[in-house]
Amino acid sequence: MTAPFTFSLPAELTAREPPERRGLSRDGVRLLVLNRRSGKVEHARFHQLTGYLRPGDLLVFNSSRTIPAVLEGHTASTANDVELRLAEHLPDDSWLALLRCRAVDDCGCGLEEGVRIDLEDGFSVVVGNRHDQIPRLWRLRFSVTGSTLIDYLYRLGRPVRYEYVAKPWGLDYYQTVYASEPGSAEMPSAGRAFTWRMLLDLPKRGIETTRIVLHAGLSSYLDDEADACHAAAEEEYFIREEAAQAINRAKKNGHRVIAVGTTVVRALESSIGPDGRVQAGHRYTSLRVTPAHRLRSVDGLLTGLHEPEASHLDLLAAFVSPERIRQAYAQAVERRYLWHEFGDLNLII
Amino acid sequence: MSRLRGKLALITGASRGLGRQLAIDFACEGVAGLALVARNAVALSGVRESILAGRPDVNIVCIEADLTREADIERAVATTLVAFRGRLDVLVNNAAILGPTPLPYLLDYPLEDFRAVLETNLIAPFVLIQRLLPAMTEHGGSIINVSSDAGVVGYAGWGAYGISKFGIEGLSRTWAAELAGSKVRLNIVDPGSMNTDMYRASDPSADPDELTDPADVTEIFVHLASDASRHVNGERFLAQELDPDHDTEGVSSSEAEGNR
Repeated sequence: MTAPFTFSLPAELTAREPPERRGLSRDGVRLLVLNRRSGKVEHARFHQLTGYLRPGDLLVFNSSRTIPAVLEGHTASTANDVELRLAEHLPDDSWLALLRCRAVDDCGCGLEEGVRIDLEDGFSVVVGNRHDQIPRLWRLRFSVTGSTLIDYLYRLGRPVRYEYVAKPWGLDYYQTVYASEPGSAEMPSAGRAFTWRMLLDLPKRGIETTRIVLHAGLSSYLDDEADACHAAAEEEYFIREEAAQAINRAKKNGHRVIAVGTTVVRALESSIGPDGRVQAGHRYTSLRVTPAHRLRSVDGLLTGLHEPEASHLDLLAAFVSPERIRQAYAQAVERRYLWHEFGDLNLII
Repeated sequence: MSRLRGKLALITGASRGLGRQLAIDFACEGVAGLALVARNAVALSGVRESILAGRPDVNIVCIEADLTREADIERAVATTLVAFRGRLDVLVNNAAILGPTPLPYLLDYPLEDFRAVLETNLIAPFVLIQRLLPAMTEHGGSIINVSSDAGVVGYAGWGAYGISKFGIEGLSRTWAAELAGSKVRLNIVDPGSMNTDMYRASDPSADPDELTDPADVTEIFVHLASDASRHVNGERFLAQELDPDHDTEGVSSSEAEGNR
C-alpha cells in the first residue's frame, strides 16, 4: 500500500492535552476548510463551522460512546502479565482484542489458542484464534457477558491512551458531548469539538442533524508493519430507519450530506443498497475507502488531521485529489495545526 | 394504566422510600425498562423482585453505585445505555442524603459531610444529566429533579441538605432555560414531607402515622414522565398539592405552601 502523498509531521504538532486543558474551549480548536471543487483553503476556528454550512445541509454524527477498553491480566499457566486492548464486540459475543505481553519478548508469554488469562476480581478470558487479516488481534471470550461485563469493564478498565498525551486523561476527556451508545475502543474524535451550544443552535439555522452508531476499533496495533497496511477489522454499526430516511431525503433534495468523522463515511458507504440508497440496519463492515472509491452517500467530511500513513489519507483522497490534500496539509504544518484526538479539525466540503 | 408504555427510565435512590415507590408505579404504568441505581445492591434486588412479580416483562437493570464517585456515575450511565441501546426517556434524580443527624447548624457542620451532601445531592444530578442527555435529545425525554421546601426557604438547621436543594433549584432553572426549544424537558418536584427513612431521621419527633405515604405523591412524577407533559419545561410542582379529583398538571409553588 502506498500513500497518495507523503509529508513530514513534526513531533511537536501533537495535541498532548484536550483543548479545555490548554486554555481553549472545546469548540475553540482550529478548523482547516478545504473546498472540494476549487481546492481553496481557509483557516478558521471550529465554532465558526456553521459559517461554512447552509440550510438543508445534513450533518451525520457517530454517537458511539468510548468504553474503558484496556484491562490488565496474566496468563493462568505461566503468570505472564498481559495487557488487553479490546477492539470490537463480535456477533457471537466474543471480542477482538490486541494482547500485549509485558515481557520484553513479545512472543515469550505463550499466547495461543485455549490459553486462559486471569483478570482481577476472579474474572477471566479464554484466548481464541487469531484474526485472519490482522494477526495482532485475537478472539477472546470473557467468563461473563452482557451488563455484568460492562459493569466489570467500568470498574477496572481504562481508556486507550497513546504515549503522546501529557497525562493519563480520564475517560470523560475521550467522549464527544453527544456520545450515547457505549462500544468504541477509541473516541470517534472528529465530533469532539462540538458543544451543546452549537448542537442546539444548528436546527435554528436550518441545518439538519442525524445520528448513526459505529463502534470504532483500535487506530493502532502498536506495530509499525501492521499499522502501515492497517487492514480494517470488522466494526459494528447501526443505522436506524429515521437516519437512513434523513440521509436519502437530503440526497434526493440535492442537499449536502456531511459526515462527522471517517467512521460515518465507512458506515454509510457500507450501507448502499441496490437502489443506490442508504439502508437502515445493524451490520459489520471492514470496508476500506480508497481514492478509487466512488462516494455515493456523503458529500462532505469533518475529520481530524491524519498521520502520514497510507490508509488514513486514502479515505480523504476519495473526496478530493491527493495534490489538494497535500497542499492543504502543507499549510496546516506551516501554520502549526495540532494532530491527534485532542487536536484541530479539517472540513472537506 | 399505561401512561408510560414502552418508556425507558432511570431512577436514582431506587432502593427505598420515594425512589422505590416510583420504580413500582412506573412499572404499573407500563415502562419497558427501568435502570435502578442505589448504593445498596441487596435492597435493589428486592425492588426488582417486587416489580417482576407483577410485571415479569420489564427489563430491570440494577446498578450498585456510589454517586459521590464520578467513575460510578459513568459506569451507571454506560450500563444503562448498553441495556437500553443508547436510548433513555425519563431520568429521575431522586437520590439524596441528609448528612449528619441530628442536623447540625452550619457553624458546627463538618466539612467532609458538607462535601458529601453536595456531591450526592447536587454534583451527581449535574453529571447524570450531562451524560444522559445525549440519549434523550433525538426522541425527546423528561428529566425530573426532586427538590424540597428546604431548597426554597433557608430553615435553620437544614444545613448542607437545604443548600444542596437550593443548588438543584438553580441547576434546574438554568438547564431548563438552555433546553427550551429542544425535545427534552426538565422540571422540579417537591414531594413534601413523607414517611421515609430520610424524613424520620430529619425529624425524629414526627409521628409516622401523620406523614404521607410515598405512594400518595407519585402521580405528578408519572404525569411528568408521560407524553402528556411534553410541553411542560422549567416548572416546579408540589406533589402533595395535586387535586386527585382533577386531571391537573400540578400546582406551581407560588400557588401553595410547600413542605420540607
